[in-house]
Amino acid sequence: MADFWAAYQSTLGFAMVNAFFALSTYAVLSAGMLSFATVTFAALGGFLGAQLAVHLALPPVLVMPVSALSGALLAYVVALLFLRLDSHWMALASLALVLITRVVALNATALTGGVNGLSVPLSLPLWVLAAILAVICVVFWRLSASWYGIAARAVREDAAVAATLGIPQRRIQTIAFIISGAVGGLGGILLALMLQFLSPETYFIDIAFTMIAAVVLGGSYHWAGAIVGAVVFTALPVLLQAVVPDFEKVANGICLLLIMIFLPRGLIDPRALRLRRARKAPSR
Amino acid sequence: MRIAKGAALVAAMLLAGGSVLAGPARAAALAPGDYKVGFVAEITGPIAFAGKSFLAGAQLAADEISANGWMGKGTHISVLVKDSASDAARAIQDIHQFIADRSVIATTCCILSPVANSVKPIVASAGIPLVIHGATLPGLPAPPWVYSMTVLPGPKDVATAVKMAETTKPKSVTYFLAADNDAFKARLGAARAALEKMGVKTAGVVSVLTADTDFTAPATQAMGEHPDAILIYTTQAPAVGIIAALRQRGYTGTIVGNDVLSPASVFKKLGPAVVGIPFPIGFSSDLATTPEAKAFVAGYKAKFGNDPDIYSAQGYEAIWFIAQGLRAAGGKPTRATLAKTLAAQHEVTHNVYGGEPITGGQIDTAGTTIVAWSADGKLVPWTGAK
Amino acid sequence: MSLFVEQLINGCALGSLYALFAIGFGLVFATLGILNAAHGTYASWAAIAALAAVQRLGLPFPLAVLVGVAAGGALGVAVDQIAFQPLRRRGAGMLGALITSIAAWIVLDNLAGVATGQDSLSFPTDSYPGGMLHVGGIAFSTMQLITIIAMLAATLGMHLLVRHSRFGAAMRAVGWKEQAAAIVGVDPRRVVLATAFLAGAASGLAGVLGGISTANVSYSLGEGLMLKGFAAVVVGGYDDVRGAALAGVALGILEVMSAQYVSTSLRDGITYALLLGFLLLRPRGLFGGTSFVRA
Repeated sequence: MADFWAAYQSTLGFAMVNAFFALSTYAVLSAGMLSFATVTFAALGGFLGAQLAVHLALPPVLVMPVSALSGALLAYVVALLFLRLDSHWMALASLALVLITRVVALNATALTGGVNGLSVPLSLPLWVLAAILAVICVVFWRLSASWYGIAARAVREDAAVAATLGIPQRRIQTIAFIISGAVGGLGGILLALMLQFLSPETYFIDIAFTMIAAVVLGGSYHWAGAIVGAVVFTALPVLLQAVVPDFEKVANGICLLLIMIFLPRGLIDPRALRLRRARKAPSR
Repeated sequence: MRIAKGAALVAAMLLAGGSVLAGPARAAALAPGDYKVGFVAEITGPIAFAGKSFLAGAQLAADEISANGWMGKGTHISVLVKDSASDAARAIQDIHQFIADRSVIATTCCILSPVANSVKPIVASAGIPLVIHGATLPGLPAPPWVYSMTVLPGPKDVATAVKMAETTKPKSVTYFLAADNDAFKARLGAARAALEKMGVKTAGVVSVLTADTDFTAPATQAMGEHPDAILIYTTQAPAVGIIAALRQRGYTGTIVGNDVLSPASVFKKLGPAVVGIPFPIGFSSDLATTPEAKAFVAGYKAKFGNDPDIYSAQGYEAIWFIAQGLRAAGGKPTRATLAKTLAAQHEVTHNVYGGEPITGGQIDTAGTTIVAWSADGKLVPWTGAK
Repeated sequence: MSLFVEQLINGCALGSLYALFAIGFGLVFATLGILNAAHGTYASWAAIAALAAVQRLGLPFPLAVLVGVAAGGALGVAVDQIAFQPLRRRGAGMLGALITSIAAWIVLDNLAGVATGQDSLSFPTDSYPGGMLHVGGIAFSTMQLITIIAMLAATLGMHLLVRHSRFGAAMRAVGWKEQAAAIVGVDPRRVVLATAFLAGAASGLAGVLGGISTANVSYSLGEGLMLKGFAAVVVGGYDDVRGAALAGVALGILEVMSAQYVSTSLRDGITYALLLGFLLLRPRGLFGGTSFVRA
């Protein structure tokens, strides 16, 4: 048991870090927007936090709020620029932002260490990681039942109807971006602490695609779906490697395809849960 | 000289293999059993072509060491493989799984330097020896926990550039640089300084990126500077593309490559375009002279059906080095005692380079062999004659 | 001066590959509403198929190109039917199709790695017209000329098809609103299949020509085209073939010129900053029309 724990503790750690990225992606998705900008927020939070930790020797507890805040600020700026675009174009713009992020990471050597990368000689106990994730979960849970959560759902389901109900779409989506930025920035520094080394490749398109996939896989209509998706997506390659070592990634892709086709609303689907409950309950 | 030394080593090896001969450095014979090495492989992903060679070399070494009980009677060494696909996060997870497996006595990993840098602090704090088999960044080794089996390419590049300048006497040269790779930046700097000291002018430096695929424009740019020679300091894919583009556009001057040109796949791909281009090499199956090197080539061919390259040699040496440590440690070694013993080794005794000293956990090889591909696809010593 | 002209030609040839890629990518986006992450893998597989045709069957260059184009088109149709059709039937949105396209990308990309033995292969030098042409002190390769001509022909053909044929009208109708198209007698299924095939074929053509001229047949071929082709779609606008083609060529020239006269490390930054600028200032592309948004 102790061995099993030791063997898979880093997998659990990465699963939790990925859960932050997935939640960040979910935050914008829940307000009806597809955005890959989480990667950019994570890069800012990660590099800035790592620099503070290395050069000013700040403890991780102080660094994390700074990372989250910087992510949120950047997200606010991104929201100001991007919310003028309609949905398809915003997805494309956020993808462009990810590509630019890598170029900046390669060239802004003072912040990122450039091609040499950046060593982060700090580590984080897993229970701290779990505790932070728990706090974020509570925040998402409270949010989903709040006025904001309901308004966001309305904007996502039908923006025109939401507008006639007097829901300020632009403001709801800006808030969604800020939440996404804060959680993404936090995820960025947590990934840095898990890897203990950052390079321009650390925050790139792979994170964007796997996290979107994780959210949709887990279920994009409930915040818990993001976490389930992230865990499945982190564990799947490890499991598949044991089963089909040569075609592990191919099997990964096929799993994703099958889930999307047969479970299009993801593993955690509040509507299906409600329907099941309704069916079980005595209706007459 | 080299051959004599090698023969003596083989003799010593046979003696040791047959009996429980106690060498002066050894306290007791290694306890019988299967010693497991965790190999973080890169057999899928962007550099899988090299990753496969590293792993094949390691597997051959394990077979050889186990077959004749080289570490002692009833001892085996085996390689456990986990693929990281060159992803740092995956490599960390793999290493943690090896650390958790109490039967794993040592680990080996990493072709990419950032990945090696991520894994390094973990093995040091967990206390398990790590032999890096591919990453070339200087400063990676940190005994007693971390060792590198990759010869630092910088000095060999300088020697090659100088020899080229001495033989072909160019007036001005142009350099190609993988601008997003700091190791190559340093290698270019060293070669350029040496050539400028010899009075060879720098016509220009053309930058490319490692992920680039189109090299027509960079080749045009370099040829626009009309250099007498072009020196290439990039990773393999760009180097191949640059040579193809230069030759296609009709460049006839001297081209100097680097060690990335040595695998057979490069000749297969480029054919006549790469013939006669000099580059330094640590190991080549065509130039194997010592008995160990010849045995390695023959064994590799028998097991995998093709010739080993420098990558297979490095994977092979990583396992031999760990086995050497285990044998020297004797008794029932732990990860910590194995690390202590490895730190005390001053050379890898069973090597395919004709001498492989270790300083500060970093191996080196004697001299620089400069080779070029011949028209029939063999590596031959480079003479400078066109 | 001749250096400048040669680099201009290099940029045009490189940009032609982006353009070929972009017109297919844009076509699928405009007609089917799918942001297809697997589009680049069609190029890789087309090049692999053409190489196999050369090495196994000994086919000459024009036939090998045809094999590659057909393979790209067939793959486009196969991916559409396997990964997109089940979602389409259910009326799921663009997000679902993006995810299944990512899945298809992962699968095809990794299988391409297996097919080439994780290596980068190249066409034998005698299997294509590999010579250099010299015109008034300017040197360029035959393949570059072929690439540029192929791009012009494909763009013109695609433009005529989409804008000036009955079938093109049907495509645009489906792109605008599928049910409405069905009501006025357009068979959406035929349009979907044809669009998927044409897009895959264009990507395949880019793959074969790019695989030959860059001496790189591997999964990275498609990935390289993907990022730049995507930029071309955004700058050029996805609902006009000419815009995507022009933007592709312009990006190719910009890339080559910024590497020659500015800096290689900033090269991609310039491209992507331009991309973002276009998105924010002119979000419908060079030739973008008005959009139909439900009020």
